[in-house]
Amino acid sequence: MAQPSDDKRHAFEAEALPHLDSVYRVALRLAGNEAQAEDLTQETMLKAYRSWHQYRPGTNARAWLLTILRHTFINEYRKSRRAVAEIDVTAIEAFTIFGDIHDVDPEGSFFNQIVDDEILQAIDALPDEFRETLVLSDVEGLTYAEIAEVTEVPVGTVKSRLFRARQALQRTLYDYALEMGYITRREA
Amino acid sequence: MTQEPQEIDCQEVLNRLYEYLDGELTPVREAEVRTHLATCAPCMSVSNFERAYIHFLEARTRAHGAPESLKRRILEQILFEGDTSPTS
Repeated sequence: MAQPSDDKRHAFEAEALPHLDSVYRVALRLAGNEAQAEDLTQETMLKAYRSWHQYRPGTNARAWLLTILRHTFINEYRKSRRAVAEIDVTAIEAFTIFGDIHDVDPEGSFFNQIVDDEILQAIDALPDEFRETLVLSDVEGLTYAEIAEVTEVPVGTVKSRLFRARQALQRTLYDYALEMGYITRREA
Repeated sequence: MTQEPQEIDCQEVLNRLYEYLDGELTPVREAEVRTHLATCAPCMSVSNFERAYIHFLEARTRAHGAPESLKRRILEQILFEGDTSPTS
C-alpha cells in the first residue's frame, strides 16, 4: 500500500529532481569549485525534500529550488568561497566593446576562439550579485521576473545588474582575446 | 489602455536592447525597437553583435550537468529520509 512518504517521494522525483542539473550548474558558479558545489547541491535538495510541503504543486519548482540554493549558499558557503580577482563593474555604463571592434570583427567571431575554462573563470570573477544574475539568465535561461524572485530584488535591479554583468564580462573576454592574439586592436 | 508604437531614437533602442534580445519587452515596445532596427544600420550592427554574444554565452556554459554519482547520492538520501522502515 502506498504510504504518504511514497507520495511525497514520487512528487519530489517528478517535479524537483528534473532540475538537479540546473541546481548543480548554479551551485558550481556560486561556490567556485566542484566539491563544494556537490555539497551545496546535496544540501539544497535535501532541504527542499524536507520542506516539500511548502512547495505549491504546479508553481515554478526550479525557481523554488534555486531560491533554497541561494539561501544555503549565502548562509553557509559564501564565507569560504575562495577570493578571486574581481572584475570591476562600477565603470560599466554603455555598450563599449562593439565601438572598439566594429570594423575588425563586427560578427564577434573572436568569441568562438575563447576556450570554455576561460569563460567560466571570467564569470567566476564577477562580484556575487552580478555573477548570480548572469548565471540565472544566460546559463539557466530564467526570465527577468524569475531572477527577481530568486534573488529577491525588483526587476529593474535585475535589468541593470544583467547589463553590467554582460558588459563587464564582454570587456574581460575581449581583453583576453587581445592578449591571446585572437583579435587585433584597431589602428587609431 | 491601448498604446500605439512611437518612433524612438538610437539611445532608446540601446537602452532596451538586452530586453529586446531577451524577449522581455511588451509587443508595442518590441515593435518600436524592431522598426528602428530595420532602418538604422549602426543600431542593427550593435544588435547583431550583442545577439551573437548572448548566444555564445548560452552555448558555452550550459553543457555541464550534475555528476551521476551526485544524482545517486541524492536519490539514496531521499529514499532513507523520513521513512525508517525499509521499502519493498
